[in-house]
Amino acid sequence: MSKKYIRPVLRHLFLAALVFVWLIPILWLFVTSLSTYKGINTMHFFPTHWTLDNYHQLFFRPDTVANFPAWFRNSMVIGCCCCVISTFFVLMVSYAFSCMRFPGRKKLMSFSIILGMFPGVLSMIAIYFVMKLLGLTDSIGGLIIIYSAGSGLGFLICKGFFDTIPASLRESARLEGASELQIFTRVVIPLSKPMIVYTVINAFLTPWMDFVMAKLMIRSKEPSHWTVAMGLFNLVQRTLVGDYFTVFCAGGLIVAIPISVLFIIMQRFYVEGITGGAVKG
Amino acid sequence: MTGKIKNYFAGFAEAVRKGDRWTRSSLLLFGAGYIGRGQIIRGILVQLIQIGFIWFTFGFSAQYMMQLPTLGTVQREETFDPATLAKTVNDYDNSLLILLCGIIGIFFILAYILLFFQNTRRVYGLQKRAEAKEHINSFREDLHTLINEKFYLTLLSLPGLGVLLVNIFPILFMICVAFTNYDKRHQPPTYLFTWVGLENFKTLFTSSQTVTFGYAFIRILVWTMIWAFAATFTTFIGGILLAKFINDRRTRCQKLWRSLFVITIAIPQFVTLLLVGKMFGDYGIVNSICSKIGLTGFLKSIGLVGAGLSYIPFLSKPGWAHVMVILINIWVGVPFQMLSATGILMNIPNDQLEAARIDGASERQIFRKITMPYVLFITGPSLITAFIANINNFNVIYLLTSDYVSTNMKFANSNAKEPDLLITWLFNLTNNHSNFKMASVIGICVFLISAIGTLISFARLIKGNREEDFQ
Repeated sequence: MSKKYIRPVLRHLFLAALVFVWLIPILWLFVTSLSTYKGINTMHFFPTHWTLDNYHQLFFRPDTVANFPAWFRNSMVIGCCCCVISTFFVLMVSYAFSCMRFPGRKKLMSFSIILGMFPGVLSMIAIYFVMKLLGLTDSIGGLIIIYSAGSGLGFLICKGFFDTIPASLRESARLEGASELQIFTRVVIPLSKPMIVYTVINAFLTPWMDFVMAKLMIRSKEPSHWTVAMGLFNLVQRTLVGDYFTVFCAGGLIVAIPISVLFIIMQRFYVEGITGGAVKG
Repeated sequence: MTGKIKNYFAGFAEAVRKGDRWTRSSLLLFGAGYIGRGQIIRGILVQLIQIGFIWFTFGFSAQYMMQLPTLGTVQREETFDPATLAKTVNDYDNSLLILLCGIIGIFFILAYILLFFQNTRRVYGLQKRAEAKEHINSFREDLHTLINEKFYLTLLSLPGLGVLLVNIFPILFMICVAFTNYDKRHQPPTYLFTWVGLENFKTLFTSSQTVTFGYAFIRILVWTMIWAFAATFTTFIGGILLAKFINDRRTRCQKLWRSLFVITIAIPQFVTLLLVGKMFGDYGIVNSICSKIGLTGFLKSIGLVGAGLSYIPFLSKPGWAHVMVILINIWVGVPFQMLSATGILMNIPNDQLEAARIDGASERQIFRKITMPYVLFITGPSLITAFIANINNFNVIYLLTSDYVSTNMKFANSNAKEPDLLITWLFNLTNNHSNFKMASVIGICVFLISAIGTLISFARLIKGNREEDFQ
């Protein structure tokens, strides 16, 4: 009797403890964003006085160092464009490597993997020079190119997934006269929704998270040209952190909204057993 | 391999020997061979490519390629003309531009040569078809092959172009920089830099009174390896176990639990990392809590915290910082791994699990014999990528240890600090100290380590023809 109840309770208590550890910093982020004291509160976990003013400042009082609405718009544009381009690139490359057989395929695959291992931080400087040559520094277009152009190299996980889609599905489509393009768009892509979700989320997150590349590319001192990551990172530099830490927290929370919405929309597609039962016999 | 190359050139020689006037004239004018066989549009397109190439080379890149051996000789000089009060700048050389455009120019010439051989062979193939009175594809049919047998060309061309632009050219450029003296004192456009051979590689392995790169390099390399292994291993195992735990039939409200963990992903990494960094700062909130509950005093009494400190140096002393970044990385990485493991766990073919269950396998046996091999097959390659990604894990280290100041002079001399990874070290070298030459050398080392490691494990995982196992 008691054993029957204790084990599930323990199981859920354990999970709850884990969740607690994982959520503490997020909770701190949240309560700090509601604090009246602008700097880092080092003595108390919860603020002594509560206010919504930080959000108000974030949205309606852009100043010379913080222009959140413009940052948000820039990052949104970059994120959406990258999302589309990267997802297409990854799916295309994965299909070519997983489902097609052509001369030099394995060599090309190994080459891409080796290429992907070259430290990105190092080639950053060189990318900056290449972009300068093309006249694309200080522009959102340049950032979109940088974030999405190389995305084809990240095909490994997606290819691993395509490898698990039964080849018989593709063969039967071919027997019924489908072209490779049709097999790609009508058979393989509908079957790989979880993978698309994964790729979309990754591609969308990159520009929201990256501040190094953005800082390097966008040299403009005018805050309205920055991305969210750049701007927020700037707010916690030593000279500003005392006056803007709570604003930084508020901004960090607001940034989470588009990303969470994306997760919620995409979670629908985590359907169980996508390939189960697709082929009979 | 050599046989293949021999065959390739034999085919080319045969094309030259036996080609008719159309084939031979396309040695000079690439499009001629297609136009002569009625493939007008294709011929024009190929011809346009050739013209474009010649225009690019002689109009743009040739001047830079000529200067590649010296990387420029004329230094920038400004002369002030008192009469007109204007500054005039001489026609100076920019080593940077010469190197970059020179590389691009050489790349295009190689591509041109390849196109030349390939084109001649293809045109000769057309000639043979025409002689045998076989069908020659119309332009429409050519396009049709691009979505069928040659669909891979369509798929790979655009991503390939992108990779060329943001990966291959920059990488070639930075590799070249490792053999030059491009640093603070040789910065274009004001100054020139030039080739120095293997000088920088020697510096990297020297430890002397003034040059401490050798000392710092070995220590940072070892720490990078420990970090990459620990970070990959802990998040991978943690993620799979957590996913398994949540997906278990006995767990209620699976979606809720999953979402709670996913919240941590929703907030960008740099925000959470900066935040956690501030929490664990020397005078941060964790420290004030620790001193309130007496933990600081306790750690002092057992000697884990130095006597002169009034706080726990979570992220500011060697040892402490090393352990903390690994722990914080678990916090960052496990939800991600949990999410991708969930997707994979859900996709395990159900019939296999059911068959095992009917045969009387226990849950543990199923996990070990079916779930793990399946998960490993799918995530195996990504595990290697994760390891490589951790060697290059810039964000965690950079954001958490930005306030760290090294007290070890040998580290400080080479602009490094103890919890640095090779990658953050080289970032500091380029960004704050403009030491591009040493950064490139370190970058090449990172690359070699990653490449060798990957090739060894990748060969075992992929080459063993297991691709079709699950198809």
